[in-house]
Amino acid sequence: MSGVSKRYGGVTALKEADLSVTPGRIHAVLGENGAGKSTLIKIMAGVVAPDEGMITLDGKPVSFATPAAANAAGIVCVFQELSLIPDLTAADNIIISNPPQRFGMIDRKAQRALAEQALAAAGTADIHPFALVRDLSLSRRQMVEIAKALARRPRVLILDEATSALTAADVRNVFGVIKRLRAEGTAIVYISHRMHEIAELADDCTVFRNGRKIATYAAGSKTDTEVVELMIGREYKNVFPPKSTAARPETPALSCRNLSWSGRLNDISFSLHAGEVVGLGGLDGQGQRELLLAMFGVLRGVTGQIEVAGKPASLADPEAAKSGAAAMALIPEDRKIEGLMLPMSIAENLCFAALDRVSSRGIIDRSKQAERVAAMIELLKIKVVDPDLPVSSLSGGNQQKVVIAKWLMNDPRIVLLNDPMRGIDVGTKQELYALLRKLADEGVAILFYSTDYDELIGCCDRVMVMYDGAIVRTLEGDAITEHALVASALNISEAPPA
Amino acid sequence: MTSGTTPVHKSRGLPAMRGVEPAVLIAFGCILLLLVVGAMYSRNFLSATYLLQQLKVASFLGVIATGTMMVILLGQIDLSVPWVVTAGAMMACAAASFGPVGAVLAVPVGILCGALIGLVNGFATAYLRIPSMIVTLATNAVTQGLMVVYTGGFSPQDSATPAMRWLATGELIPRVPNGVVVWVVVAVAAVFLLNRTTFGRSIYAIGNRERAAYLSGINTRRIVMLTFVLAGGLSAFGGVLLAGYASKAAQSMGDAYLLPAIAAVVLGGTHVLGGRGSYLGTVAGVVLITLLQSILSVMQIEEAGRQLIFGAVIVVMLLLYGRQKAL
Repeated sequence: MSGVSKRYGGVTALKEADLSVTPGRIHAVLGENGAGKSTLIKIMAGVVAPDEGMITLDGKPVSFATPAAANAAGIVCVFQELSLIPDLTAADNIIISNPPQRFGMIDRKAQRALAEQALAAAGTADIHPFALVRDLSLSRRQMVEIAKALARRPRVLILDEATSALTAADVRNVFGVIKRLRAEGTAIVYISHRMHEIAELADDCTVFRNGRKIATYAAGSKTDTEVVELMIGREYKNVFPPKSTAARPETPALSCRNLSWSGRLNDISFSLHAGEVVGLGGLDGQGQRELLLAMFGVLRGVTGQIEVAGKPASLADPEAAKSGAAAMALIPEDRKIEGLMLPMSIAENLCFAALDRVSSRGIIDRSKQAERVAAMIELLKIKVVDPDLPVSSLSGGNQQKVVIAKWLMNDPRIVLLNDPMRGIDVGTKQELYALLRKLADEGVAILFYSTDYDELIGCCDRVMVMYDGAIVRTLEGDAITEHALVASALNISEAPPA
Repeated sequence: MTSGTTPVHKSRGLPAMRGVEPAVLIAFGCILLLLVVGAMYSRNFLSATYLLQQLKVASFLGVIATGTMMVILLGQIDLSVPWVVTAGAMMACAAASFGPVGAVLAVPVGILCGALIGLVNGFATAYLRIPSMIVTLATNAVTQGLMVVYTGGFSPQDSATPAMRWLATGELIPRVPNGVVVWVVVAVAAVFLLNRTTFGRSIYAIGNRERAAYLSGINTRRIVMLTFVLAGGLSAFGGVLLAGYASKAAQSMGDAYLLPAIAAVVLGGTHVLGGRGSYLGTVAGVVLITLLQSILSVMQIEEAGRQLIFGAVIVVMLLLYGRQKAL
């Protein structure tokens, strides 16, 4: 690939990226969240089309309109998100795109043979080909996914975080498979956040940052610290308000003890004080979202104890979480699905979390509503022509402000934010950072999950870094540095350089 | 999904027209067109007597469609309409046979029976998470069974109370049948409920994005259940009025109301997948459907032809609306 660029709207996800992979070698791709890795492999696998640049395969320029075209050319990708259909069998899934046919029907015998072959190649012959995928554990499902890729006989195999869901035993299996494929002359692109895996497997490494290729080097020629530096080294803009140094009350506004959920959250304990902005860090998908949802009463089967202002609280659903002593608010990550009713008006959207504050006995008080809506538009400086227009008429940043405003209307005491700044312009971000700090100074406790390390450093008094569903490190004050964050996120035990 | 093609209200210039969906205007336009076509056929189509008669017939459908609309606004569907209508009528008449106390309680008993069936629908949909299409189909069948057991398969012998007859055909206001007045009352209540209460606002919210509504701390399950209860009660009330109109209940008297009720709601511009729609549109849809049926029968078109035209008109209008949304 050379000079490949991809823009999504105004955001450049990938800029003039080059990457070349050689048969019989494993090429590791490293980078922070949002560095452009996923976009890069999506382009290689034909999921999205590049805006510029070209891809050559065996020296000939190619372009893939669909993933099927890329597959046909021998480029196969194992994505981070599973692409299996849970209600079909392992065998069905493995050969789903190209089943062996006889007289127009699927040839079950041939199918079974192919599936068994693929599963054996993935080192997991113990999975029955006719087992339903939904009955398999997450790790086994991932193995089926890998078998599915192998069944397509890849010449270029792309593994995107393919090991993140695997058990240690399956990881060993996969490593064996990858090494064998390398010996057989397959070109492999390996994306992982686990440094020790890269150290074990990779022949070459390429680091991406902010959508650009930063460096390519032979594996082992750089230390972990140097790699981390390559991954983060970007200018640091001071868009953050000063942190407060005021003393905080003894009793935490909220404390969680031994929260666990379904293997995705493991024994999480922490407390949150009024006036404090606490960050949740770590790589994407280490349980941060689940933790916020668990606290907000969305998940079923969460074990452990949540205390609000020193008293045990049972927060069974969002309705319970937002009312009473907890007065919690959750700013969701996906405003279009979880935050807003797009066709409905700005005013209506602003009121949804605080309907009982603009009504009495279930009847909406229009003057009270108009008053509250105006106050919120004023407070967050939402650019609104007319609050009766649909919220979809606003820009992304202003829509996000509506989501935040709708919760502030409920006067929350604990605010949980699920990566709220994604896809928002810098100016709006700056306003929202200031708002968060202002809320904290007014005595609100804030838990702020962000995938942007700058934000965590700039906004938070404390940052809890999560890895694999647990809090692995808590950084406080000056200890919150990019080095420390990245190192903890990768769960590398080395101490950050002074 | 539909979120990408959100229609922005274009009629911003006229404050009175704001929020009125183009579909509602089209439906009203079609009503006028039908009247013009009818008038060319016979002068009587524009007489007050005929129009009031049509409004009376429309009022039964109007009451039933009110509940149907709320369920559709949620993004659900209520297919139990036919036998809830019949059950409402039969149970009200059955209560009437228990002497003077029964006569007083006839109307509430009928409505209550419908509300109970609605409760089952709502509970299964909201709490047990069974698709409403399946649940309501099932309760429709069960209700049918119960009614057949009750009547022994014959036409029920009980007849409607004077109060029920008065509700449907009496004239509190000279020349205006009470059925129409009842519909107006139901309509005003529905408009108030949908636009001015937290309950109504929550219905729209759930229909748009149930997930976002839930995460906003709205008790989505309770709202869904209550809406089904309301829809059941309204269907049964429609049945009570029908029994009053016909003086007695009859087997499968509700069969003719399922498709027209859904068609009226959808022709009135309510989004089939929920979240959008105004009651004014439903009124237009109900009148439109009633007029269409009446004109087709007055023109003495055979039953088969009537069904054909009726179905075709619905499909064509929905296609028209579909085109519009894509703009």
